[in-house]
Amino acid sequence: MGNYDIQVSTESCTGCLRCQLVCSDLYTETFNPSTARIQVVTSSADCSIHFTEACNECGVCVDHCFHGALQKMKREAEK
Amino acid sequence: MTVGGFAGSVLYVDLTHGKIEKEPLDLALAEKFIGGFGLTVKLAYDTIKPGTDALSPDNPIVLGVGPLVGTNLPSTSRLYVATKLPSSETIGWCGGGGVNFGYLLKNAGYDHVVIEGRADRPVYLKIIDDEVEICDAGYLWGRGVEQTCEALWKGFGRPTGVISIGQAGENLVLFSMAFIDRLSTLGRGGFGAVMGSKNLKGIMVKGSRGIKVADRKRYKTLSETFLQTIRDYPYLKEWQDLGLVKSFPMIVPEETYKRMKKRRVACVSCPIGCKDVVEIPDGDFQGLLKCTSSVLNLYTPVLYGFKDYRESIRCMATLDNYGLDMFEFFGVMGLAKALVDHGLISKDSLDEEIIIDSLQSMEIWARNICYREGLGHILAGGFKAILMEFGEEAKKYAPPLVKGMHPYAGPGCAISWDLFGTMELGQVLDPRGPHVGSGGSPTYFAKRPLEVFPRHLTRMGAPKEAIERILPGLQSPGQKPELRVGRLLRYSHRWFSTLGSLGICVRAAINRFYNAALCAQFYEAVTGINTDLSELGRRVDRVWTLLRMANVREGLDRKAEALPEKWFEAPGFKDYLTEKSLNRQESEEMIEDYYEEWGWDRKTGVPTAQVLKELGLTED
Repeated sequence: MGNYDIQVSTESCTGCLRCQLVCSDLYTETFNPSTARIQVVTSSADCSIHFTEACNECGVCVDHCFHGALQKMKREAEK
Repeated sequence: MTVGGFAGSVLYVDLTHGKIEKEPLDLALAEKFIGGFGLTVKLAYDTIKPGTDALSPDNPIVLGVGPLVGTNLPSTSRLYVATKLPSSETIGWCGGGGVNFGYLLKNAGYDHVVIEGRADRPVYLKIIDDEVEICDAGYLWGRGVEQTCEALWKGFGRPTGVISIGQAGENLVLFSMAFIDRLSTLGRGGFGAVMGSKNLKGIMVKGSRGIKVADRKRYKTLSETFLQTIRDYPYLKEWQDLGLVKSFPMIVPEETYKRMKKRRVACVSCPIGCKDVVEIPDGDFQGLLKCTSSVLNLYTPVLYGFKDYRESIRCMATLDNYGLDMFEFFGVMGLAKALVDHGLISKDSLDEEIIIDSLQSMEIWARNICYREGLGHILAGGFKAILMEFGEEAKKYAPPLVKGMHPYAGPGCAISWDLFGTMELGQVLDPRGPHVGSGGSPTYFAKRPLEVFPRHLTRMGAPKEAIERILPGLQSPGQKPELRVGRLLRYSHRWFSTLGSLGICVRAAINRFYNAALCAQFYEAVTGINTDLSELGRRVDRVWTLLRMANVREGLDRKAEALPEKWFEAPGFKDYLTEKSLNRQESEEMIEDYYEEWGWDRKTGVPTAQVLKELGLTED
C-alpha cells in the first residue's frame, strides 16, 4: 500500500492521458499508456478511471494531472 | 546514444493490389527532414507523380506523426497528411490534433503511413501493432462520421484511434473532410474526397508498444522546467475552462457556453484541452450532444446568418457528420442563392428554396450535396464546378476565392476581420490555400504594439537580422517603424513547420509556451540527433522549400497567388499598421518580400538554384 489514497473526479478528466504517460515512464522507462497502472477510458460525455492491481499509489499520476481529475490524500494511519 | 522518439517504421499500403509492407524508417532521411510534417512532405514529394489527378488511384495519401508524439511533452499529438488536394489542385497538407490517433499510431510502431491505389470495394485499414489488414467496410459505407467512429469503437474497444469520412467524402464532394476520432478535422481542400476516391472509409489504429527518449536525464530536466512554466501561467485555468471561447467571447457568449458545456476534451498529452463536448440545454434540440474541435466551430452558421445558436449547433452536427467543410458549404450555398436571385438558376428547378439562415433549408441542401441530388450534384463540385456550369456571368456573384476556395477571414468571408496580417496573407501563400491559422504570429491579434513583435519573432526562430528586415526603423530613434507582413509570414511558416515536424500543436493556447530554441533542445533530447537552433532552422527551411518545389512541379505560379480582386473592393482590407486601405501594389510587394525572405526568386516565387543547393535539395 502506498502513501496516498488517490481520489478521482471523472467529470474533470479531459482524457489527456498525462497520468498514464508518466506512470508508464516511471515504471518502464517507456511512454506507453497501455502499461500504465492507471487506466482512463473516455467516451463522448463519460469517463471512467481505474487503477490496476500493480498500482502502489505512489501519486505520480496526480502530480502530472493538470485538470484536477486526480487528488492525493495522505492515509489516515500515517497522519 | 540510441535514437529515440521515432517508432521506427513506415507502413506502405497498396489498396489496388491489397499489398501491405512495413519498411524501416530511413533515419538519415528523418534527420534531414526532422519527422512529422517535414518527413510527410518529403515522402509525398517522392511518391506523388507530377500532374496526378487528385482523385485518381495514383494520388497517394501520406500520413505522419512527429518524433515528440507519444511522449509526455505538452500537446504533442499532432497528425499531418500530405496529398494532392482536389479543390486547390495543389500538393497540400491537412493537419489536426491527433486526439488518440497520433500516439496510438506511434505505439503501433509507425511514424508514417503511405496509402496508394484504389480498393475495388469500400474498405477500412486496420492497424493493430504488426497486424495490418485491409478490411471490408461495406457495413460502414453510407454512415456518417459519428456512426462510423462509434461502430469501430464498438468493434475494437477504446482506446482506438479512428480517421473516418462521412457520406460527403464517399460521394467525392470537393469540400469534404476527414475527421480524427470524430473531433479534429483533416480537411479544407477536399481530403475527404481523396479518401473516398480510394474507397477508403477509414483507418483505425491500436498500439501497445511504447516510445523511448534518447537522453532521459536531459529530457527530465527540460520537461519538468517547462511543465512548471505552464503550471505557473496565470491564465491556465481560464484556458482550461473556456478553451477558444476565451479568445472569441464576441462569437460565443461565455454564459451561453457555460450552460451547454458538458466536458472539455484534450488530445493526448495536452494540459489545456481545447476541444469540447456540449449539450443543447433547451428548445427543440434539447439533449443533442455534440463533440467538436471547438465550440467556436458550432457557431459558424451564426456567422452566416443563423439567429438561434441551438439551430446552429444542430446544423453543424449535420455538416460534421456528413464530413463537410463548413466554410466552403456556406460559401457555395451563398453563391447558389445569388445565382437563383439573379436568374442564372431557375427557381422552378429547385425542390427546396435556398435560405441561408434556415436550418431546414441548409440541412436539405447539405443532403442534396452529399448525395449529389439535383443541383446538389453541381454544388458538390465546389466553386470550380459551379463557375464552369454557369459561366462568366456567375463569377461576379462569387465570394472572394483563393486557389478556388472560400477564405474564412476577410471582407466577404465568415469572419470579417479587415486588418491584413500574416494569417490573411497566409491564406494566399500557403500552397494548400485558405485554412485556419498558419502557425502563429503577433499579427493574429489586432493592433498589437510593434514593440512586442521582436520577442515573439525570436520565439518563432527568426534571427536578429531578419527581425530588422521585418520591422525596419523599430530600433532607430526618430524613425517611423514599419511592418513587412510578407517577410514576417516567412517566419510564421517556418514556425508552423517547426511545430508540425516535431508533432507539437499549433493552437495559440499551447504554442505560446514553446520557442524555437527549446524545440531544438527537446528534439535533441528525445531523438538523440544533434540539433541546435540554427540546424533546426535549416532543416525546417528545407521542408517548406520542398513543399514549394512540389507545387512548382505541379505548375503553381505567381498568378495563382494573387490576392482576389474582391479583397480590394470596399470595404476591403486595411494595412495592419496604418489601417489605410490595402491596394494591389502593396499586396504584390508583400508577396515578393515573402519570396525574397525565403531566398526564392522575388518575381516568380521559384526557389533559386543557390537556395536549393544550400538546403541540400539539389538532385545529383
